[in-house]
Amino acid sequence: METKKDEYHISFFKPTTAPARANRNLALMLVIIWAVAVFGFQILLRVLEKPTPEPTLTEFESVWANVENGNASVEEMQTFAQSTLTVLSKVFLKADDRAVLDNAFTWAVFKIANDETREELAKAVSTFEEKSAEITDITNTEYIVMRDNLSVLAGSVIGLVPGDIRMSILPLELKTEYENGYSDENKTQTPAVMTKYLTHNQSVLTDTKFLGFPFHYFYTAVFLLIFFVGLCWLYCVRTDAIHKRLSVNDNM
Amino acid sequence: MKKIIISAILLFSMKFLHAATAATQLEGSFKVGPAIILISILLLFILVGIIFRAKDTTDFYAAGRGISRVGSGMAIASNWMSAASFLGMAALMYGSGYHGLAFVVGWTGGYVLLLILMAGQIRKYGKYTAADFIGDRYYSKSLLAVGAIIAILISITYCVGQFAGIGLMFKWVLGIDYVWAVVIGSAVVLAYTLISGMLGVTKNMQIQYVIIIISFIIPLFILLYKFDYFWVLPQIGYGSVVSDIVSGVPLADSQGLVNSMGHAFAIVPSPEYAMPWDISTGSTFFQWIAIVFSLMIGTAGLPHVIQRFYVVPKARDARWSVVWGLFFICILYWSAPVYSAIGKILSAHPEVGMLNKDAIVVYTAQLGNIHPLIVGLLAAGGVSAAFSTVSGLLVAGASAFSNDLYVRVLRPNSSPKRQLLMARVGTVVMAIIVGFLALQNWALIGQLVAVAFSLAGVTIFPLFLLGIWWSGSNRAGAAAGVIAGMLVALTSITYFVAAKEGVALPYADFFAYWLGPWYFAWIGAPLAILANIIVSKLTKPTPLEIRKFLIEQVHS
Repeated sequence: METKKDEYHISFFKPTTAPARANRNLALMLVIIWAVAVFGFQILLRVLEKPTPEPTLTEFESVWANVENGNASVEEMQTFAQSTLTVLSKVFLKADDRAVLDNAFTWAVFKIANDETREELAKAVSTFEEKSAEITDITNTEYIVMRDNLSVLAGSVIGLVPGDIRMSILPLELKTEYENGYSDENKTQTPAVMTKYLTHNQSVLTDTKFLGFPFHYFYTAVFLLIFFVGLCWLYCVRTDAIHKRLSVNDNM
Repeated sequence: MKKIIISAILLFSMKFLHAATAATQLEGSFKVGPAIILISILLLFILVGIIFRAKDTTDFYAAGRGISRVGSGMAIASNWMSAASFLGMAALMYGSGYHGLAFVVGWTGGYVLLLILMAGQIRKYGKYTAADFIGDRYYSKSLLAVGAIIAILISITYCVGQFAGIGLMFKWVLGIDYVWAVVIGSAVVLAYTLISGMLGVTKNMQIQYVIIIISFIIPLFILLYKFDYFWVLPQIGYGSVVSDIVSGVPLADSQGLVNSMGHAFAIVPSPEYAMPWDISTGSTFFQWIAIVFSLMIGTAGLPHVIQRFYVVPKARDARWSVVWGLFFICILYWSAPVYSAIGKILSAHPEVGMLNKDAIVVYTAQLGNIHPLIVGLLAAGGVSAAFSTVSGLLVAGASAFSNDLYVRVLRPNSSPKRQLLMARVGTVVMAIIVGFLALQNWALIGQLVAVAFSLAGVTIFPLFLLGIWWSGSNRAGAAAGVIAGMLVALTSITYFVAAKEGVALPYADFFAYWLGPWYFAWIGAPLAILANIIVSKLTKPTPLEIRKFLIEQVHS
C-alpha cells in the first residue's frame, strides 16, 4: 500500500506489505537454494557422466567379429558364451533381450561342445526343461540334481570354474529351441543388447564412496531428504523471527 | 478368573503363532497370522475412531483445532503415506533403480514448496476445502464446482493405486486371485470408510502413523543384521548393499547366507541398479527431471494435503506442522530404498521368478526368512497405509460432491439428511469407479498415484499459487488456466489409456515420451500459469474486496 497505483494489489514480484516483502525475500532465497540442490546436482551428474563399458563388454567386443563370421576359436567362443551369460545373470533384463541372449548363449554352448558332449547336453537340457515345466516347487530333489548336473556339464564346456555365481544360473538359460541355430535377426541384435546392458553412465560422483554408498546415490536418496527437512526448519525459524519483528499476528 | 483369562490368552497366542508360522509362502495360500493381524489393526482403528468421535461437521473438518504441532505432523504423515509410499516406492526402485529415486525426491521436495509458498497463507485464508478456496478467491460458483470436480477426479485417480495395493495385499494374505482380492478389498475399505468416515480421523491418523512406521522399519533391522550389514541405522547401512549390487557379491563372499528358497546371497556386478538414467532401465534424464518437478508441484496442489493446514490452530502451527510432517514422512522414504536394494540381491536368481514389483516389500521380507508374524505385520502396515489414505480420500471426494457441488451449487436448500445421503452415495459410486479402474492393472501403484499428482499440478497448484501470490489473477484467468491444464492432462491420459487398450493414435510415441501420464505437469503447469496470467491481464480486474482481503488477512 505504498503508492496509489499499488493500492490493494499484491504480487510475488512486487509485494506491497512489509511482511509479504520479507516473506517473499526469504521464500525466493530458499527456493533458489532448493532448486540448485535438487536440479543443479542432477545436471552436474549429467554433465560429468561418461558412458563407461563394463570389462565384460570389452571382452565381448574383442571376440564378436570372429564369432559373427564363424572363425572364432574355442577360447573365443567360451569368452562369448561367458559374456552373454553375464548379461543373462543381470538384475534388469527385458524379455525380448533375454530371448536374443538365450539364443546366442545356447548356440555357443552347443557349438563349443564336442559331438559326444553335445549329445549328452541335448538330452540333459531337454529332460531338465520337461522337469522344470512339471514341478511346482523348486526344492524338488530330482529337479535339483538335474539342474546341478547340467550346470557342471555346460559349465565345463564354456570354461566356468566352480564357485562362479553364473554356474547356478546357466541351466535356466539353455533352451532346446536354440540348440541348432543362431538366427540372423538375433545375431544382428546381439551387439546392441550387450552394449545396452554393459554400458553405464559413470563419473567421479558415481565412483566415489560415501558411508558405503556411491556418492550420487547417497546425495539423492539420503542427503536431499535431510536437506528438505532442514530447509523447512530454517524457513519456520526465520519466519517466526520476521513475524515477531514486524508484529504479524500469527494467532489466526 | 484372572488365571483362566491369562491361560486362554497364552493358548490363543501359541495357536496363533503356530498357525502364522506354518502359513507363510511367497504366494498361494491363506495366511492365518497376517489375516488376524490385519483384522485386529482395522478393528483398532474403528475403536479409536469411536472413542475420539467428531461431534459435528466443523469438528470433523477442523479436528477441534486443538492438536499439537507434532501430532498434526504425524497426521500429515499418515494422511500422506499411502500404498504408493509403503509398497509403490520400493517397487519403482526395484524395477528401475536410480530412476525410482525421482519419486522419493519429488514426493518429499514438494513439501518445501508447499511450506515456503503456501502453507501459512492457506491457513490464514481460512477455508476448509480446496474447492472452497477456489470458489471464494475467484468469486465464482462455477469455479467452485470445477474445483470440486477436480478434487473428485484427483481423489479417484489417487485411490486407484491404493485399491491396487489393497488388492495385492489381500491377494497375498488370502491366497486368492487378484480380481477377487480387489473386489473383496474394495468392499472392506468401503465398509470401513462408511463406518469410520466421521470418526476421530486425526487421532486415528496418529495411531496409523505409528503402526505404519513400526511395521515398515522392524524388518529392515532384521534383514540388515541377518545379511551382515550395519543394521543399527538401516537407512545408512544399506549403502553397502547398493555398492555390493554395483560391484557384485561373489559366491565366496556370501558365507552361507541364503534366501528362503536356498539361493546364495550373491549377485553378478549390476551397476545398472544405481547408475543414473541407465539405458537398460529405459529411462532418461529428461524423464527423471520431469517426474521430480511434476510430483513436487503436485504435492503442493493435492486437495487432501492442503486441507490438513486448516486443522491446526494457528498459521504458525500450520508452518511447523509441515516440518514435523515432512520429518515423519522422510523416515519412511529413507527406508523404502532398503527394501528394493536387499530385495534385488535376494531375488537375483532366476528361479525366484518374476515377482510382482508392487509387493516387493513383502517378498523381500519373506525371501529374507523373516518370522511370518513380522511379515504379516508388514503386510498389515501396507493395508493400513492404503486404508488411511483411501478413507480420507473417499471422505474428501464425497464431501466435495455433497458439500461443495450438491449443496452449494445444485441444491442449496437440501436437508441435512439429504446431504448425508448424497455423501454416502458419493462414497459408494467413487469406490465402484476406483475398484473398476484398479482391476485394469494399467501401471505400478506409484505410477498410478503419480497421475493424480500431475493432475493436481496442472489444475489446483496454479490456482493456489497465483491466488495467494498475485491479486491480479481473476476469475477469467483462473478459468483459462484450468482449461489449459486440463487439456494437457486429457491429452496425456487419453494417449496412455489408448496405448494400454491397444488403440493406435497418431504420434503416440511422441506423446508417450513428452507427455507421460506421471509427469505431464512439467509442461502443463507452466502453460496453466501462463494462460492464467495472460487472460487475467486482458480482462476485468479482481474485485477490490478480494484484493483487500489478500493484503489485510493473508499477507499482513
